[in-house]
Amino acid sequence: MTYILGISALYHDSAAALVHDGTVVAASSEERFSRIKHDASLPVLAARWCIAQAGLAPQDLDYVVYYEKPLRKFERLMLNHVRQFPRGVASFRRSMKVWLTEKLWVRDNLANALGVPASKILFSDHHLSHAASAFYCSPFEEAAVLTVDGVGEHATTGLFRGSRAGLERLAEIHFPHSIGLIYSVFTSFLGFQVNDGEYKVMGMAAYGQPRYKDKVERILRIRSDGSFDVDTSYVAYHYSAEESYNRRFVELFGEPRKPGAPFDPADPRARNYADIAASVQAVTEDCVVSLARELRRRTGLDDLCMAGGVALNGVANYQVLRRGGFRRLFVHPAAGDAGGAVGAALWAWHEVLGGARSPALVSPGLGQSWSDGQTSQLLRDLHLRHTPLEGDAMIDRAAEDVADGKIIGWFQGGFEWGPRALGHRSILADARQHGMNARINAKVKFREPFRPFAPSVLAGAEQRYFSLPDGADLTCPWMLLVAPVTDCGHDRLPATTHVDGSARVHIVSRDASPVYARLLERFGEASGDPVLLNTSFNLKGEPIVASPLDALATFEKTDLDVLYLGSFRIENFASRRNVHA
Amino acid sequence: MILDKRPSRLLRLLSWLVFKIPGRPAAKMAEFSHTEAGSALDMIAATELTSRADLRAKFFRHALDEHKHARLFAERAIALSGDDVRVRAMVEDSTFIVSRGIRSKVALHEQLSDVEFFAFIWVHELIGARQFDIYSALMQNDETSTAMFREIGRDERFHIAYSRAELDRMIAGGRAREVRKAIFLTRFRRVRNAVLRGSRRFGELMSGIWLTIAYFGILGPFALISRATERNAEGFVVFTGAPAARNAESQG
Repeated sequence: MTYILGISALYHDSAAALVHDGTVVAASSEERFSRIKHDASLPVLAARWCIAQAGLAPQDLDYVVYYEKPLRKFERLMLNHVRQFPRGVASFRRSMKVWLTEKLWVRDNLANALGVPASKILFSDHHLSHAASAFYCSPFEEAAVLTVDGVGEHATTGLFRGSRAGLERLAEIHFPHSIGLIYSVFTSFLGFQVNDGEYKVMGMAAYGQPRYKDKVERILRIRSDGSFDVDTSYVAYHYSAEESYNRRFVELFGEPRKPGAPFDPADPRARNYADIAASVQAVTEDCVVSLARELRRRTGLDDLCMAGGVALNGVANYQVLRRGGFRRLFVHPAAGDAGGAVGAALWAWHEVLGGARSPALVSPGLGQSWSDGQTSQLLRDLHLRHTPLEGDAMIDRAAEDVADGKIIGWFQGGFEWGPRALGHRSILADARQHGMNARINAKVKFREPFRPFAPSVLAGAEQRYFSLPDGADLTCPWMLLVAPVTDCGHDRLPATTHVDGSARVHIVSRDASPVYARLLERFGEASGDPVLLNTSFNLKGEPIVASPLDALATFEKTDLDVLYLGSFRIENFASRRNVHA
Repeated sequence: MILDKRPSRLLRLLSWLVFKIPGRPAAKMAEFSHTEAGSALDMIAATELTSRADLRAKFFRHALDEHKHARLFAERAIALSGDDVRVRAMVEDSTFIVSRGIRSKVALHEQLSDVEFFAFIWVHELIGARQFDIYSALMQNDETSTAMFREIGRDERFHIAYSRAELDRMIAGGRAREVRKAIFLTRFRRVRNAVLRGSRRFGELMSGIWLTIAYFGILGPFALISRATERNAEGFVVFTGAPAARNAESQG
């Protein structure tokens, strides 16, 4: 009985994950507990929950594994400051304050915060953690592994071969040459928050044409060997604490978009920004495909695993499957830094301890769950009128509500691992209704109107609505692939079909999410289309809800029509509250 | 007695000076937005943690009020900021409540005893109500802002009333001394935290100066020596280090 706690922290999206004899038994981002979006602090709350979930005390843990090597990262930072002298003084001041007070003392801080001896703390390597998160959670015995993100210690990209012998590192690309950082430069240029607004760039790209691809290729250049480099004379992320691009970049692309500026596709200036978004998206796809092809050439393997923040780019993932030369693709559901927690723990189990191969990850619900008893007590204490519905009655009623055009909050089981809502903490609606996306944006999500909503489809029915390439069956359950919509899908699912005729497909199987699959099945029986519009159960700028109380608070703040909290149906919230001061 | 609103002249003067600084009202609204968001999180945690069923609904309503205030302040900050992108960035900065020490990982309800918790709510809501009255007066030409302050003021009366009622119950139950001590401690901690925040800013300034000296004095010579030879690696780099599993205990 070996318990290993994996930790990723101190950059963005910190997380903890518990692995028991090679099986991931609990995992959560810290933001779900702290309620601070992208919380980067040591994931003390998530770690404590993981430990308690397994019925353990901290001293029962065999190892705690941190997802990277802090001293190696510090070395890269110092080397970079030496190279950028003297223009990096502000960046040096800012980074040293954090490093000297916090990041250099990870071992002691973790030991103190979790109550474990420092001798039990191990350190993986950033891209190795990503690679392990992808390979050891995949069903493949042997696979090529590609990791692409902003930056780890030195590496920004890693090529690996995964086999029974473990993960063999074939090659790396080092900072400052980074696809992830270049994508973030454009995210900032287009008026979005870095490490948060990258999805918005992807959404905006669909409204544009890649007219500026040649200009982007001046900055991010694909080399003949399949690798890439960055012309750093256009960017500032390697020396500036404030800016990620410089005046030369602005001369090339024009004035940056003002944060929060409205986006009207009919406005030529807005279209120009969409063209820039489309261009960086196209070059990113080419770069990742080029890396995949090189990896295929080097390994000769048929299957590919991916992780790292860039692997959350579902449009690029589609291109990798179509053009990368691999037969199947698996992407870790929490492909960003949070996933490093799972990867670090699995790496230690397999490669430090020599443990048996982990089972493939199937269910997304690795987070905390609440019993109906707990929820019922809460609803009673809050004087909220609610209707208990058992089993199929609850499913039938929810399917009816959605078919009636209601927007429902859906809270079932443990919350999802990763940034996507996969039918455990979701807002659901009828994808067949014209204007439903606009209604959700206006009444519930309050987010940018150019961002599309995803369709959840019952496993087995996907080919009717979406043109999925072969090998997509392992990626779509995690909503990490954007694929073209078929003519039928275009007709039947207007609320989830993006402006360019694509959709971020979520295939739901009975094994992965039984309750949600039953709802899709029931809705399909009633309507003929086992598909629902699925978006995360949160408000703009907030983490996805974790607890019933979070769900109730979000329900109150929005115009959601109905909330399904476990087996309880709550309607028309405001009129049913009866609180006396 | 409950709504004892007598803002001091000093507070009025300071607020007047602050609001005269261009762009400051918008930044202040952004700060309030985060403070209210932090309070909302604390009240949600209190709702979850309290063992008293009768308090849960009140804490929950309080949390929802604070959520609403956070949203109102954020919207107003953005509306008042005009072209100042820094205010929007401040509003959208999800780490603000941690980096500015507005909220720690341990919920307030866990840190404080029951009497301290209600004393905290009562004192802070009372001070908040006074502050907002002053700001409302200072912004009397801005109808939207004054209406917002009025709405927030209404909610705060509920928060002040229920926390005061709890404290009164404790006094009636023979805990008057404990209540007085908790109110004193809350006020003391408020002053202490203000001093600590000031000290932290001073410390940051000093460390900034020392780090600048270190940058030019220590890093500079190394930079000049290495400049001729160092280059960033381009393209694929073949990994030559030892397998990570062999030095799993090492941080480097």
